[in-house]
Amino acid sequence: MSWRRIFGHRFVAVPLAVAFLVAGWNIYIAFNNGGIIEGEVRDRAGAPVPGATVIFFERNFIYYQELRRTTTDASGAFRFDGMQVHVGQLEARTEDGSHSERRQLRLWFRAQDTEVAPLIVATPRG
Amino acid sequence: MRRAPSWPRHAIMVVVSFLMLVPFYWVLKTSLTGENIYAFPPHIVPIDPHLFHYVDVWYLIPFPRYLLNSVIVTTMAICGNLLFNTAAGYALTKQFPGRRWVVLLFLSCMLIPFQATIIPAYLITSWLGVLNSYLGIALPLLSTIICIFIFKASFEAVPRSLIDAARVDGLSEWRIIVRIMLPLSKSAIATNVILTFIWSWNAFLWPLIVIRTPEMQTLPLGLARFLSVMEDTTGALFAFVVMVLIPGLTIFLMAQKEFIRGLTSGATKG
Repeated sequence: MSWRRIFGHRFVAVPLAVAFLVAGWNIYIAFNNGGIIEGEVRDRAGAPVPGATVIFFERNFIYYQELRRTTTDASGAFRFDGMQVHVGQLEARTEDGSHSERRQLRLWFRAQDTEVAPLIVATPRG
Repeated sequence: MRRAPSWPRHAIMVVVSFLMLVPFYWVLKTSLTGENIYAFPPHIVPIDPHLFHYVDVWYLIPFPRYLLNSVIVTTMAICGNLLFNTAAGYALTKQFPGRRWVVLLFLSCMLIPFQATIIPAYLITSWLGVLNSYLGIALPLLSTIICIFIFKASFEAVPRSLIDAARVDGLSEWRIIVRIMLPLSKSAIATNVILTFIWSWNAFLWPLIVIRTPEMQTLPLGLARFLSVMEDTTGALFAFVVMVLIPGLTIFLMAQKEFIRGLTSGATKG
């Protein structure tokens, strides 16, 4: 029996195809699972908001609870490292009491490196 | 004589197929949207479909562990079935005193529902010391009577002269089974594998009784656990159902030709 016939048989080809897909997906995960979640906080005019607090809420069974918080740098950027999550919410808060809408974050795998779209704080900064 | 047009038959088959597939479509659609199944009016076409419910299932419960347990138990059941059913089926093709009574006993045992034998089965499993183990879960499925008869029917279709020739050549009974009978009974093997896979994969009651620790649970038990600990997870629940269904459907689709051939040959050669 030729190799082509063996590998072309559905009982061999289908499991092999599945195995390749799983292996490929796991290799991709291995190179992208640093748990880095990064983005920016801006005001409605599009200007960066330094010093804003960004909170990550982890999904519990039935509600969201705070997992970690960080502060934006001078350019309005924030970054979380080593986040072992695949779902959660992000919210930015400023010292003057304004806050962004909570952004739902869903990842394709746990600790996926991701860059989120800018969080917009509700109140324009003067 | 003019033949009747075939389109009415095909039209009926299309309608029946559609009706049979609707529940599957609905499960798949709900797994992609998370839409409340009681929503009215229901959306026929999925709105904003995504695969994140599948990701949730993977991480919110120990799905890989359940999957591994199910695979191990099912593999054991399939191997046991092939071994014991082949031997029993081959033995029933022989003439021996009381053969008729053995066949009658097997047939009468098929009339007893499994639920009625659970307590003795549990006591035997406990006595063997294999409660809460893979062997204990697979034990009742290591041999099934209907598959014994499928093998019996398939073996009886093999010409007697072929077996006699093998015996003259010095083959033992086991080698006759392995070298002569099994290669000529591929449909029976496929039927056996698929039926055992379906029964073992979907088994709920027996694993529920013999399993005592969460890490030994199989997929159907995981589904029950999922329902008991999660709230507001319609999409994830249906995603879980799809993930449980996929292996069985894949195997059936791959082997449906042998499956149908094995069942029909078993029905006519007995």
